[in-house]
Amino acid sequence: MATRTGDGKPGRAFSGLRVVDCTGGIAGPYCTKLLADFGAGVIKVERPGEGDPTRGIGPFAADDPDKEKSGAFFYLNTSKKSITLNLEKEKGVRLFKELVKEADVLVENFRPGAMDGLGLSTDVLEGLNPGLVVTSVSYFGQTGPYRDYCATNLTVSALGGVMSTMRPATRPLERPVVAGGFQAEYATGVLSFITTVAALINRGGTGRGGRIDVSAMECIASTLTGHLAEYPYLGLSRRTNPFAIHGYPIGYSVPCQDGWISLTPGIGGAPNIPLLIERPELMDDPLFTQPRARMAAPDRFDGVMAPWLKDHDKWEITGKAQELRLAFTPVLSPGELLEDEQIKAREFFARAEHPVMGRVTFPGAPAKLSGSPWQAGRAPRLGEHNGEIYGSLGYSGEDISRLRAEGII
Amino acid sequence: MTGLLDGIRVLDLTMVYAGPVCTRILADLGAEVIKVESVPRADVFTRANVYPENEPGEKPWDNGGFFHTLNAGKRGISLNLGTEKGRELFVRIVGISDVVIENFSPRVMDNWGLGYEELKKIKPDIIMASISGLGNYGPLRDYYMYVPGMEGMSGLTDNTGYPDGEPLLSGHAYGDWVTGATAAAALMTALYYRMVTGQGQYVDISGREAVACHLGEIIMDYTLNGRDRTRAGNRHISMAPHGCYRCQGEDSWVTIAVENEEQWRQFCRAIGSPAWTQDARFADAPGRRKNQDDLDRRVEEWTGQRGHIEVMRILQEAGVPAGAVLNMKEVNLNPHLVERGFFQVIDHGEGTGRRPIARLVPARFGGMDGLPPGRAPRFGQDNEYVFGSLLGLSAEEIEALARENVAGSRPAFPPGRPCRTDLVAEQGAGWFDPDYLGELRKVYGDDLGRTDPKQMK
Repeated sequence: MATRTGDGKPGRAFSGLRVVDCTGGIAGPYCTKLLADFGAGVIKVERPGEGDPTRGIGPFAADDPDKEKSGAFFYLNTSKKSITLNLEKEKGVRLFKELVKEADVLVENFRPGAMDGLGLSTDVLEGLNPGLVVTSVSYFGQTGPYRDYCATNLTVSALGGVMSTMRPATRPLERPVVAGGFQAEYATGVLSFITTVAALINRGGTGRGGRIDVSAMECIASTLTGHLAEYPYLGLSRRTNPFAIHGYPIGYSVPCQDGWISLTPGIGGAPNIPLLIERPELMDDPLFTQPRARMAAPDRFDGVMAPWLKDHDKWEITGKAQELRLAFTPVLSPGELLEDEQIKAREFFARAEHPVMGRVTFPGAPAKLSGSPWQAGRAPRLGEHNGEIYGSLGYSGEDISRLRAEGII
Repeated sequence: MTGLLDGIRVLDLTMVYAGPVCTRILADLGAEVIKVESVPRADVFTRANVYPENEPGEKPWDNGGFFHTLNAGKRGISLNLGTEKGRELFVRIVGISDVVIENFSPRVMDNWGLGYEELKKIKPDIIMASISGLGNYGPLRDYYMYVPGMEGMSGLTDNTGYPDGEPLLSGHAYGDWVTGATAAAALMTALYYRMVTGQGQYVDISGREAVACHLGEIIMDYTLNGRDRTRAGNRHISMAPHGCYRCQGEDSWVTIAVENEEQWRQFCRAIGSPAWTQDARFADAPGRRKNQDDLDRRVEEWTGQRGHIEVMRILQEAGVPAGAVLNMKEVNLNPHLVERGFFQVIDHGEGTGRRPIARLVPARFGGMDGLPPGRAPRFGQDNEYVFGSLLGLSAEEIEALARENVAGSRPAFPPGRPCRTDLVAEQGAGWFDPDYLGELRKVYGDDLGRTDPKQMK
């Protein structure tokens, strides 16, 4: 279609931008992955020997737990270059300063205060490179009473409030559950990216860099948006999804013949449900014309729907419901996502050849930009670019061998 | 210091949730966001929810807490794009804007002659973004959905919940947030590109694809090994214990994640080294994972005798990642968030008064932090600014817009409906704190809440 591609050759948004990436895990690497996939030159600084701990986390290609075969590492580090550097040695810190001097952005996720301990305080970095944007990603931020707490994705999902709302509408006192995967980490990664680019845009106008303090607890709490207002406005503390609270559509998963579908009668009610389930005699039943009638009688609503849903498969139900303008959709597994015709037509999945993993298929563009599209290359092997990067700083092959022997890289 | 995106103007046609999240993020960063609604088509879903003290008031469209949070710091106009005059004015605003964002069904903008190719003729470097469930092109592009569709069709819902329970929708429209934040990320990228090259572009955001990008490692277990992962409760692929445990008190919980053997030893010491911690079955992570049902029961025997905050404190002192499951009251009053200024008190004006609202860009920019955002726009509040100051229409012309059904100050709006607190409490979907204003005033100041005499209880 006309609006799909721009004029001329696609550009790379962050072409020429130099990023030093001292992060491991998920949040920091996801931020720098986005920068790299949109064209920035990202140098990932890893600890000699083990590298980013995510290299040790599965899934592994062919289930072989080799640090060059982690799918998690691959996905989070596409398009980057990898060097090794030991920041616990003074010479390592000196090399690091040389790197940072040439960079536009530094993203780090050391424990708060650790950079100071390495002699890399904000003042030192600003002295080295006044235009540098430094993004510090941590679980709780660089200040505040929880600053030194330790955490994982699970910890901040609990403290950020989202877990307290993760219960089924029908069993709101059930044990809270964390969202699948590592959502607090990814949310933090996206916000780290947004704020880093905002600072770069501001730098374009002012020439000044700056220091950004991103806290994962705050990032995941911010995903609650309007739901956080329920307490200061109503005194309400909610245990389940908003649909159940405000009498709008009841959104939840309901079993069908071959799995589950998401049942989401729309904002204006769902007057066509009786047509979908072949019960036209119920067309005037308030159950289908008034959202609040459903709220008052969820069991009756389910009772009427369930038998028909049980007799039909998820795509059959979805197809027919969509024709009737009902917002019913299938619950897809990751495998089913890959087979989805829309996903295929939009070429959502990307592929790359990796020297150790072979051909790798991975989730592609988070958004389709016509003028400066997303475009990812494979993830680097540990220290793969030592020669290239240290060479560009003026170190000879001999120097690099010596640094390796000394355990600096 | 003003905002980082000072001077960027965003024309915002989005409604409900995902789009407004995107533009609230841009507004928090300092962009001037002009939210466009119309008399026949206001942002009803969010405007009509979460009323202060559960009273819709005389102008129920201006008092919704959902709307206040999602739209703080934006300007608001009413402009009916269903009229020719409305579209003509819209095009003139495009001419002085940097970004246009919309979340209509695909095709609507094209049908109005307001697609990217048309807008580009008006403003060659315009950046236009479209947000939809499944994307702007492809065979299923017209699928109609809300957040359950975006989460459900991405693999997230199937991977959330307990193995013996149903796939669980997020409790807070998370998929909408991901979609909005991803749109903001894409727009930041496009703005940077324009800064360097002077070129605009078109951005197509599919909510489902945005959410799938947050499931990288889960999806890759399928692409690498053909393993279709599904929900696993709170369990982790390598850590144990890793769960949510009941504490003393009603609906009181804590999460504990033991990342390595050092933390396991610290954990055992912190809980007083009961005999079971020496059990050979729990000696290493693989053993603990294998015997996790038994392990979890024993951990819960200990947590169940203490409050969730106390459990967190004891374990954090021992260096073990433990986090209390905070409810909405506890989040709003949390000492860490309060000290860092995560909530900003904003005066929402008549009918609502001063209330804390969350930052949607919860980062601190050393020395570059802007002021708290202004309140969310009253319906049509900036018609004069936009039509008069920016476009140069006279007062008479602006007045005529109301008569011609192009702009107005009173939306077509259903009667304000309070929350059915009785049903919510009865079904257990939530609980109400009768003294929430008192609690908030202790933290945020005595002037919190409505100031009309009726409210000064």
